[in-house]
Amino acid sequence: MNDFFVMIRRSLVGFLRQPAALIPSFAISVFFLFVYNGGLGSVAKLPGFQGSYLGFIIPVSIASAAISGAGLAGQALIRDIDSGYFTKLLLTPTRRLALVWGPMVAAAVILVAQVVAIVVIGLLMGLRSATGVAGLALVIGFAFLWGMAFAGFTVYFALRTKNAAAAQAATFIFFPLIFLSTTFVPLKYISAGWLKVAAAINPTTYVFAAMRSLLNEGWKAGPLLVGLAVTVAFATVTGALALYQARKATQLT
Amino acid sequence: MTRATAPAHTQAMPDTVHARDGSDRSIVVERLTRDFGELRAVDGVDLQIPSGEIFGFLGPNGAGKSTLVKMLTTILKPTAGSATVAGLDISRQQGKVRQAIGVALQDVGLDPIMTARELLVMQAQLFGASTSAARQTATRLLETVGLDDVDPKKRVGEFSGGMKRRLDLALALAHDPLVLFLDEPTTGLDPASRMAIWDEVRRLNAERGMTIFLTTQYLEEADKLADRVAIINHGRIVALGTPSELKRDLGEEVVELSFDSPDHAEQAAAALADAAPECRLGDSGLRCYFAVAAHEVPAIVRALDQAGIPLRGLTIARPSLDDVFLRATGETMAEEASAPPDDEQTEEVR
Repeated sequence: MNDFFVMIRRSLVGFLRQPAALIPSFAISVFFLFVYNGGLGSVAKLPGFQGSYLGFIIPVSIASAAISGAGLAGQALIRDIDSGYFTKLLLTPTRRLALVWGPMVAAAVILVAQVVAIVVIGLLMGLRSATGVAGLALVIGFAFLWGMAFAGFTVYFALRTKNAAAAQAATFIFFPLIFLSTTFVPLKYISAGWLKVAAAINPTTYVFAAMRSLLNEGWKAGPLLVGLAVTVAFATVTGALALYQARKATQLT
Repeated sequence: MTRATAPAHTQAMPDTVHARDGSDRSIVVERLTRDFGELRAVDGVDLQIPSGEIFGFLGPNGAGKSTLVKMLTTILKPTAGSATVAGLDISRQQGKVRQAIGVALQDVGLDPIMTARELLVMQAQLFGASTSAARQTATRLLETVGLDDVDPKKRVGEFSGGMKRRLDLALALAHDPLVLFLDEPTTGLDPASRMAIWDEVRRLNAERGMTIFLTTQYLEEADKLADRVAIINHGRIVALGTPSELKRDLGEEVVELSFDSPDHAEQAAAALADAAPECRLGDSGLRCYFAVAAHEVPAIVRALDQAGIPLRGLTIARPSLDDVFLRATGETMAEEASAPPDDEQTEEVR
């Protein structure tokens, strides 16, 4: 039996046994969708706004679901380190990377499931994708990549601090990432200069832009390529950090 | 009172290096050393443990017990020296060592949201068993450690301390290891659970020929279970031998002298420097070691009388492993057992 597979399955079972860790974050994502679509939907009537507000706001909901799903990876590692089970796993011949990849891949499965659920809810609410099913699949792909980038970040913090509270605190990066961006209105309508700057340097902005172009505008190479480049760069940085920290945590001292 | 000198512990390697089936199950430690910053936790330890031996490892808290076990089980790197376990080098063949050993460490935990069977199946799979073989192993081991009548849906988080210890032992056995490391396997357990673990350790050793390296803070445990015992203090082995050898080294008999106050005991130790050169201050008074105690009693009583120290009681007994420990470390095991828990001695089983 492959140790990677054993570790992934075990992490998945762990997640499903603790629905309290899954349900609130998913509920927040759905909340974004209903409340902001209902409350801010008239933004779509502003001159120059392309497509539907639902198509505009659903990437926020998707990104939020992706982040919360990805955060599970770090939480799972912390739980194992806290219980001492991580050391027990280190005493087995399991490949060291499987110990870290297990929770990351399992978190990715949960993340994709949550994102698909959000997309389905969106479709039921009347979402129309300007690029059809292929565009929706790409949106989910973006969410996955972006979630994995965030998972790398939580894994890095979990292994670095080995402390549940500190790792929990690290997930608060969720708030600036999600909210200091073109979250509710397009960049051109943001009047506060500081928020414009924050949104411009926030990688989330470019992920939003790519998803929105797919849903509301049609096939446009510009936002897609920029979004892809930013996401891959972000994932590479956090992935390298996670890998470095995983090597350190599983290496003998 | 002079400090105890360590009995010679450089014994020749017994010639039963290989078990009946020819596999090497020995543990050979050479000048193994581990520093933590300025502190030398393990200081040039040498040990030769032949295949099939139950080896008891005793020492006060912080003496280096757990540090040595962590190095031998490949989760801590030695600063200097070397060791082989089952003939495999702990620094160069870590993967193979892990495959050959079963480990139940005191501060290593279990995942509380899994069931006992799930943990056992997973453990066997991580050691390379197929799913069906892993399931069979889990069934057999749950029976072995007496957890087969537990509700199969019960999660490990709801287990009692004794149940967790038994499950941990089962996990250590999931791949039928050649050498088993048990770090304080019965600390914090009730007498019945302790006996059950002892029986299991004896059975594994007798039936499967497993070499068992056991650390403990209970002298009784080492005395009952171990073929040989080592005592470690300040990172060095200060006594090594069979329990009866160690006790014999002290002299055949011990005279226990009790006093009304600790001051009197200390004064008595000084007054008896000539009459009883081998004395140690313990919890209960002064303990003096002789070949034949009855011959020395009149001289002891005379010396105390001359010094004007009132004696409350005098008993002649055979030395216990407590005496060995007291002599080797200058501390009593009882003091150690009641010391506040630190990372070597955690009361609560995680």
